[in-house]
Parts: sequence; C-alpha cells; structure tokens
Amino acid sequence: MANLELLQTLHGHKGIVWNVAWHPLGTIFASCGEDKTIKLWSKEGQEWTIKTVLVDGHQRTIREVAWSPCGNFLASASFDATTAIWDKKSGQFECNATLEGHENEVKSVAWSPSGQLLATCGRDKSVWVWEVAGEDEYECESVLNAHNQDVKKVAWHPSLDILASASYDNTVKMYKEDPVDNDWTCIATLCSHESTVWSLAFDKTGERLVTCSDDRTVKIWKEYKPDNQEGVIITDKESVWKCVCTLSGYHTRCVYDVAWCHQTGLIATACGDDIIRIFKESEDSDPNAPTFELICTKLNSHSQDVNCVAWNPIGNQELLSSSDDGEIRIWKFSD
Amino acid sequence: MASRFSGALQLTDLDDFITPSQECIKPVTIEKKKTKTGAKIKIGEDGYFDISSGQEQKLQKVEITLADCLACSGCITSAESVLVTRQSQEELLKVFSERKYTDNKGVTKSVSLVVISLSPQPTLSLAARYKLTPEDATKKLAGYFKSLGADLVLDMTVAEDLSLLEVQQEFLERYHNHQNDPTAKHLPMLASSCPGWVCYAEKTHGNFILPYISSTKSPQQIMGSLVKQYLSKSKEVNPSEIYHVTFMPCYDKKLEASREDFYSEILSCHDVDCVITAIELEQMLNNSGKSLSEVASSELDWPWSESDGHPAIRRHLGSGSGGYADHVFSYAAEQLFGESNAPLVYRNLRNPDFREVTLEKDGKEVLKFAIANGFRNIQNLVQKLKRGKSPYHYVEVMACPSGCLNGGAQVRPSTGESSRELVTQLEGLYSQLPLAAAGGGGLVRRLYADWLDGRDSDKARAMLHTRYHAVEKSDIALNIKW
Repeated sequence: MANLELLQTLHGHKGIVWNVAWHPLGTIFASCGEDKTIKLWSKEGQEWTIKTVLVDGHQRTIREVAWSPCGNFLASASFDATTAIWDKKSGQFECNATLEGHENEVKSVAWSPSGQLLATCGRDKSVWVWEVAGEDEYECESVLNAHNQDVKKVAWHPSLDILASASYDNTVKMYKEDPVDNDWTCIATLCSHESTVWSLAFDKTGERLVTCSDDRTVKIWKEYKPDNQEGVIITDKESVWKCVCTLSGYHTRCVYDVAWCHQTGLIATACGDDIIRIFKESEDSDPNAPTFELICTKLNSHSQDVNCVAWNPIGNQELLSSSDDGEIRIWKFSD
Repeated sequence: MASRFSGALQLTDLDDFITPSQECIKPVTIEKKKTKTGAKIKIGEDGYFDISSGQEQKLQKVEITLADCLACSGCITSAESVLVTRQSQEELLKVFSERKYTDNKGVTKSVSLVVISLSPQPTLSLAARYKLTPEDATKKLAGYFKSLGADLVLDMTVAEDLSLLEVQQEFLERYHNHQNDPTAKHLPMLASSCPGWVCYAEKTHGNFILPYISSTKSPQQIMGSLVKQYLSKSKEVNPSEIYHVTFMPCYDKKLEASREDFYSEILSCHDVDCVITAIELEQMLNNSGKSLSEVASSELDWPWSESDGHPAIRRHLGSGSGGYADHVFSYAAEQLFGESNAPLVYRNLRNPDFREVTLEKDGKEVLKFAIANGFRNIQNLVQKLKRGKSPYHYVEVMACPSGCLNGGAQVRPSTGESSRELVTQLEGLYSQLPLAAAGGGGLVRRLYADWLDGRDSDKARAMLHTRYHAVEKSDIALNIKW
C-alpha cells in the first residue's frame, strides 16, 4: 500500500511559505516566503534544521528560489521586481548580483541545465532569458511577450536549452533561441487548460510535460518531433506538443504545483484542498494515450493551501511541501 | 488582438487589460445637483441612468483621453482604444470627407489644409509589399493621399536634417559640459527619436535616465513644428485649420504625437494631428479593394520657396533608423579630434542588435558609440548605466529589434517569409535611396536664418527641442496577484 509518511514538520518562516527547492545533491534545501527571508536547511542527525537565513535581499515577498545545477548559486525571485543571485564565494552566502528589468512582481526563476542561462517571469506578462556573462554579470538575452497575462512559472527542459512557461492566460508556451540573431522565439503554444496554469514540470527525457491548473486538472503533454512515427502533422519544423492525458475528478480545488520525479517517474501535486496526491503511470500505459493512477492521497497534509511540492533529486523518495500555514513538511514515499 | 505597440511599451502596462478599472486614477467628476440626498442609478443595457429625479436621465460615460493615460503611472489600457478613435484610418477618412476634426480637448475645428508627411521607413515597407521601386511607391502614396483629399504630400528630409544637426550640436555641448563636470549626467547622450524608448524611460527609470536622453525632437515632431508654425504662415492658414498627418513605421509614434509637450496653447493645436502607419495604410488599400500599384501617381509637393531643392524620400548615412550614431560620431570626430572621415567600423556585441564603434587617437579610445536596438538591449544598456559600467559617449537607442525599418507597424512579412528576410530587403531598399545632402541644403540654411533666428537661438531651442517627464509610480495593493 503506497504511503506518504511524515518525517518532520519544519517551522521557521513567518507567514506563507511559497516555495522550497532542493540543492542538486539533495542534502540541503532552500525555502522562501512572505517573510522576505530565504532559509537554508540541512540535516543534523535525523533532524532537518535551519543552517542559514538570508535576509535583506528583497523588499517584498520572495516567491521562488532555485539552485544552479552546479549547486554554487541560488536565485530568488521576488515581488519587489528583482531576482537576486546568491553565492558563498566569500565563505558565506551573499547576494552578489541582482537582475532588474521586470516591471513588477517576479513570480518564478529557473536555471538552464548548463547553468549558463536563467529564466524569470512575472506579472508584467513577460518571460526573460538571462545569460551568465562573467563573474556576477548577467545580461538580458531576450524579453518574450508571448503571453497576454501574468506568467506564473518557468521551467527548463532537462537537457536542452528549451524553456517552458505557464500563464494566467491558460496556456503554456515554449521557447528556444534563434541562432540568426541570438534572440528567443516562441516555438509552441499548449492550449487545453480552461483556467490559469500554475505550474509545470518536464519528465526526465524532456519529451513529456506535466501541467497543473486552476481548472482542477493535471495534464500530460507529449512532444511529437518533426519525424514522428505517429503521423502528427508538424508545421514550421518545430515539434508539436499534444495533451495526451487529463487527470480530472481528483482535485477539488486549484492545483498549485506539480513535481515529476526524474528517478521514479512519480508525479506529486500540491492542491488548494490541502491534499498532496501522488500519481503513477500504469504499467501497460500507451505512450500516445498514457494512463496514470492515483496511488496516494494525503489528506490534511497541511492545514491550508499546499503551494509547492519537490522530490529529492537523488531519488530517495523524499518529498518536500510548503504551505500557506507557514510550515514546511518533509515526507517519505513508500510503495 | 495583439498589441501593436513596441515591446518596451507592452511591458509598461501600456495596454494592460487585466487591471484597468482598479488602477485608473482618472477622477470621475459627477455634476452634483443640490438638495438631493443621494442619486439612484440604474444600469441599463446601453448605459447608466440617473433615476433619482423620477425620470431616467442618461449619465455621461467617463472619457479617458490619451493624455490622461500618459500622465498616469497605472495602466494605459485605454490608450489603444483612445488612439483608435483619435488617430485611426476611419478618423482620417472622416476628416478628408468632412474637412473638420475634433481635437484632444474635444473642440471641433474646420480643416482648410490637409498635409501628409512621409517618412522613409513605411514608404519602403509598402514598396516591398507591392513590389514597387521606392520612387514609384512614393509617387503612388502621394497619389493615393491626394485622391483621398490631401492638399500637400511632403517628404520629411528637411526635418530629419534639422534633427541630425541639432543632435550633433547637442552632443558637442554635452561633451564639453562633461569635461567640466563629469558627475552631472551629460554623457552618455542617448537618442530621443524613438517614442517607445522615451515612454519606457519616463515610466520605468524616470529621473535616473531622462537627463541622458537628447533633448532634440524627433523628425516627426520637428516636421510638426515646421508645418504648423512655419508652413502655415507661408500658406496663410490658421495653424489649427491644418490637419497634419505623418506616415510612420510604428504605433508608438501616435503616443508621441499626442504628448502635451507637442500641443501649442497659443495655436491651440497639436503639431501632428494623426499618425498613420504602414500596416494601416495597407489595410486602407485592402478595404477599398485596391493595390498600391494601381493607384494613379502624383509628385510630392515642394511648398518651400527654394528652387535648388526638390522633394524625394531620402536616406541618411548610417542605420535605417535615421543614422544618428553615424552622424554624431563623424561630426564629433572632426570637431573634437580633427579626424575627418573617421572610419565607422561597428563591432557586434552579444547579438547583432548591440554594436559599438570607437575612435582611437594615439592608441587611446577617445570616442565610444553604440547602437542598441530592441528591448533586451535597452535593458542591458540601462543596467550598465545603473552599475556605472557604461563606456559610451553616445548610444542610438531604438525599441524595435533592427531599428525603425523593422518598426512595429510595418507591413508584416508575407507567408513563408521570415521577418529577418523582410528587414534585410528593406535595408537593401533603404541603401538605394538618394542620399540627403550632408548638413542639409539651402532650405535648412534658410529655415535657421528666417524661421529659427539662427542656430542656438531661443527660437531654435523652442522649435527643435523638448523635455521629458518622469512618471511617478504608484503601487496599488488591489492589483497584486499571486
């Protein structure tokens, strides 16, 4: 019987905890929230404890944090319209660069797999791509105005420089660089959700994407490349993404976050009904019409909205969650 | 409908459809009648009705003018709809047929002279669209506007010349002032002809960046002054009875024309009354089922007394955005360092839309100029300035990638054609245009002498320069969306 066992409840933030992010090694994680602080946690014996608190980096709520793939940099996106880059070259974590340009609230930040690019997005409806241009130097590579509403989330393909963004305009868009003028262009628009798309995550191959929405559904999308065997028609030489599975009837409120474990293939969702759910792909699943089963429902996983879920990247089935209730919880999944 | 404003303006909530009513600070004035304890208002399908007096009285809708929107830090949601009503093809056709117009203040005026000023970039856009030579396209455009009822169709070379001359002069002044006081914000001087960039700077970076922006008016607005202040006299027409239309490559130019700074209280009119873009002209032709190639040709007008000049769409050396960087560079090299014919070899930076050129003297870089096109490069430039890492003396800044030839309201590429291919084609057409006389011709000299009281005069400053205004930000909690 699949189960999500609570390992520890972590207190420390005042007010909403918006986001938690694992360090690539899975031994540290960062959290952020309404209290404008970032906290770094690691294990002391069996207990996760706060090791460092980063303050004074932002004037307003910190909405998301992201570790660079090398693990040396931490980026934080804030409602103060800036994105801060922290590192500990000096021995302790400091903010050594600030990315300015968004007109107002920055909602999400993500590092590309190479660590050479960063993407941010926000309420100004734009998605920005930044390039690491030297020590503590970041240059704007592109400002993408493809969405016509607030952009909630950005996520990179696990191995290629392909970016995906989710928006209040109910769509997901994908982008890549055009080598002719080094600018980025929108290469795909994924339409199917009927309300705000809150979050998205690629699977380990990058050929599938999971999205979650205000419309209470979770959708799985599959990439059909220009030479696909299924006969899906391609225009403009770019892959087409099709919604191949919709998980509806499970969530009773908005689904705020979704995490697709690259080790186990399990999908976890964070929902406004205070429940964490785990979905697993069926063994006889058809790649063009996959089926996913709800294998675990953790009722009252938090006392308020669950904002974020994150699988430990080393694949030990540890799951982090954060909530409006001010708590972070760490869970262990077992089949 | 996708916004037609440049990327820079789209970002500054220019047509933010999410939060108009909440963020709009336009005070709603309701005429209060005495002795009433409170009004009863009924919402009908076709408006709001005051029913407190026993009978239904339709309430006036609040009208937000573009000027209101520009003065506000909130949305300019209404900008697009206001522009659509004030500066649209429909409005233009109406003015042609009725020979009267209603200005921004709501005053209706009769029109005795309709003047059209053509800029090079949209003319080339239509030449490419209808596969005409630039010269033929110009004549067809002149013929088309005249068939609609235009009295004069002019090229803007003279305004472009004046703008370049003033920019060159302003640069020298700033350079000298910078030598005397390097901490005051004289350099880098930043180009001012792109209204998308200027509006973005005013709304987002305010007093930090505005001192760097050249005070010289754009060719559109210099042409505006020339038509309303000077041509009106020689034509003996009341300036407010001239309806002045400019033909432009971008939608943002409409915002520029509507600025309060370009409204004359004395003449009670704007310098430019309506801006029509390439894409709108294509639409007008489509609506009347015509191709530009079928339109009867007509010559451009030459309303000036000079006999040595003749009208034509011309190019200036340098970029297709007007050649600002090249002109200022060459002039400064000569005036400051005695280098005539200094070579202009641009070096691309991270992308082809950010390039720089330097002048070396005795192994030392003495001038460093750049061209920064597109919003991403505006960002990198602004961040460099903020961190005190800008090495530049002058930067030609345009909000659209590739500059004005790729303006946001140029005709879209045809199917199968990439926008890069189209821009390359337009750049080719631009390079074939006849070159404007260096330093302007006899007309420019006489305008300085007769109209502007000489160079550096108060009149020249009033007619050829403008000011910018930081827009204070207000953040309203209502609008925060998680």
